[in-house]
Amino acid sequence: MPDSRTLADYRAELHAWLDAHHDELAPTHPPPGTLDDDIAQMQRVRSILFEAGWMRYGWPERVGGRGGSAMLRTELGAAIVARDLIEPGLSSLVEVLAPTVIDFAPPELAAEMVPRLLSGAEIWCQGFSEPGTGSDLASLSCRAVPDRDDHTASRWVIKGQKVWTSLAQYSDRCVLLTRTGSADSRHRGITAFFVDMDTPGITVSPLEMINGRREFAEVYFDDVVVPADRMLGELNGGWTIAMSILPYERSSCFWQHIAYLYRRLQRLIDVAPADDRAAEVVGNAFVQLHALRARSRATQHRLAAGSTLGAETSIDKVLVATAEQATYDAVRRLLPGLVEIDDRVAGEMWRSEYLYSRAATIYGGTAEVQRNIIARRLLDLGSAE
Amino acid sequence: MIDASERVLLEETVRKAIAAVCDTAGGGTAIDAVLAQIGWLELLDAEPADAVDIVFSALGAANATATVLDDVVASALGASPDSNLAVLLPLFAAWSSPGRIDGSHLHARGLATARAVRAREMLVVCSSGTESWIATVPTKDMESNAVHGIDPDAGIRAVHIPGATAVAKQLEAGAWESAVALGRRAVAYQIAGASRAMLALARSHALERIQFGRPIARFQAVRHRLADALVAVEALEATLAAARDEPNPDTAALAKAAAGRTARTVAAHCQQVLAGIGFTTGHPFHRFLKRTLLLEGLFGSADDIVLALGHQLLASRRVPNLIEL
Repeated sequence: MPDSRTLADYRAELHAWLDAHHDELAPTHPPPGTLDDDIAQMQRVRSILFEAGWMRYGWPERVGGRGGSAMLRTELGAAIVARDLIEPGLSSLVEVLAPTVIDFAPPELAAEMVPRLLSGAEIWCQGFSEPGTGSDLASLSCRAVPDRDDHTASRWVIKGQKVWTSLAQYSDRCVLLTRTGSADSRHRGITAFFVDMDTPGITVSPLEMINGRREFAEVYFDDVVVPADRMLGELNGGWTIAMSILPYERSSCFWQHIAYLYRRLQRLIDVAPADDRAAEVVGNAFVQLHALRARSRATQHRLAAGSTLGAETSIDKVLVATAEQATYDAVRRLLPGLVEIDDRVAGEMWRSEYLYSRAATIYGGTAEVQRNIIARRLLDLGSAE
Repeated sequence: MIDASERVLLEETVRKAIAAVCDTAGGGTAIDAVLAQIGWLELLDAEPADAVDIVFSALGAANATATVLDDVVASALGASPDSNLAVLLPLFAAWSSPGRIDGSHLHARGLATARAVRAREMLVVCSSGTESWIATVPTKDMESNAVHGIDPDAGIRAVHIPGATAVAKQLEAGAWESAVALGRRAVAYQIAGASRAMLALARSHALERIQFGRPIARFQAVRHRLADALVAVEALEATLAAARDEPNPDTAALAKAAAGRTARTVAAHCQQVLAGIGFTTGHPFHRFLKRTLLLEGLFGSADDIVLALGHQLLASRRVPNLIEL
């Protein structure tokens, strides 16, 4: 891991570069922008950052990176989110998808594909949840069947449905979890595949979220043929892959999200009245955000020092979700009507984000699942009734 | 900074030393004595951050009464801490300096630890506008009364100095704020230790208490309360670690605000889980509840600190990243 001195140097250099390239990186579409606009902006910014080398720091050299600590890319993610260049929900998908392919795909495949993701040439999605599989991921039923026996198969045929798949309609590839064991094999019978989204038999049907955006989709797999060399990890080893994402999701992704929430509190403070009520509301939001930032920092230092992240990151998850909702609740309290009746650009933006924030206690493991994990694993309360 | 293994050893030593003493009289002399024996003042001098962290966490966890907060504040003010030197703390829920100078007379009102009755002298900080002075006042020149209040065992005293003659020395700008910051960190560690102790009591009770034929720890409603309590405690501890790594008045204020919020959350959840037994003096929970209510008022309540921080944000119109990766 870099010591704090080199990380501070890197941060200073990065921000100086971002300042110097402000005009080139700034969104070209009028605000607030559609999802299409945001996606185009994301890919354009990524390509500029990849060309300039920033997007390569913290990624292994064998996939086109420049090596170094993962904290370097965490700093980049936070910096671009704090500048409103890319929205963190879109931006941080790379942090969960690229490591999976780097760690579990055949090396040639990873070397070929990962640079396309990092450089903004492609978009990938993650096919995990299903209509019958929300919190209970091990119950998934989207089936993959081999053309011969399991171990000599040259192709697998996939049939089933995924849901809540973010950016599926924009995606070139999908990291997909399938059922390869018996129907009741739970976490022992899941296998991951790296699937091209233009394969015949895939149908994407976007879902409209409560803020009107179509960020996620239902994805139908109707006898979709996938070559066996697109299997990620071992046969029936998909659960390991699903679990391996946790440390990335709960470290660098959270740090980006925190940068975003700080930026939102800043925007609120730019326009809030300077009275006691506003002071109390923004003061409380700041105490929560600071505690979250302190916790996330400690988590990332543990990761960088070689610790394996586990159940204790459920605490980080609860803090992120709580702080996000508290931040938007503060906006709604201090700027009456903004969320409800303001049809100007700022109103549209805050309304969309406020509504999105209501999902913070649902996605990525519900607030209830996190508390169950904390009770069982951290407080050692034994199994529930 | 001491290394990790030295730290574990020191934590164990402090914990055992405090546990060996049974001092409920509120004077704090017994705990002060064992802390002195294991080198508290030397540690405070050499490794102030570790000293404050380890000792105050342990005091909170054991609900022990000591007067070492005086040493912390005295050292932050540049004085040599000594068991014969007490310090006048701000009034309850306040953090402005407790004294004022009127010509050659010093007037002050504030709180003090039990050291105020046995020390020969007391440090009193007086402010006027942005300038501060420090004076050493003989304890015989002051009125000091034991505060019974919600937690008589804490040994807190109310002190009034009605007009002493004292020589005051000007303090550097920001010296009082730095002393408040270190005092806040010390008290916040103590609250964190007490919060962990409340959670441990509620956890044990949930595992042992049988209702409907099973331990109540099996019920999700109980589990989620305890989980929320742990989230609050861990967030507070992270805030304290941040205040230690980036010591300044803002990170300390945030830690103290988080401590107040955490103590209320943890006490509410734990008391609900402990139910009837936690409502009696036969169970130790009430001591922690009462101590944290009192500690919340030292160097400012969470509500007042949050309000001040909020005004600071609105005045500067800037949300600072107080800690970086």
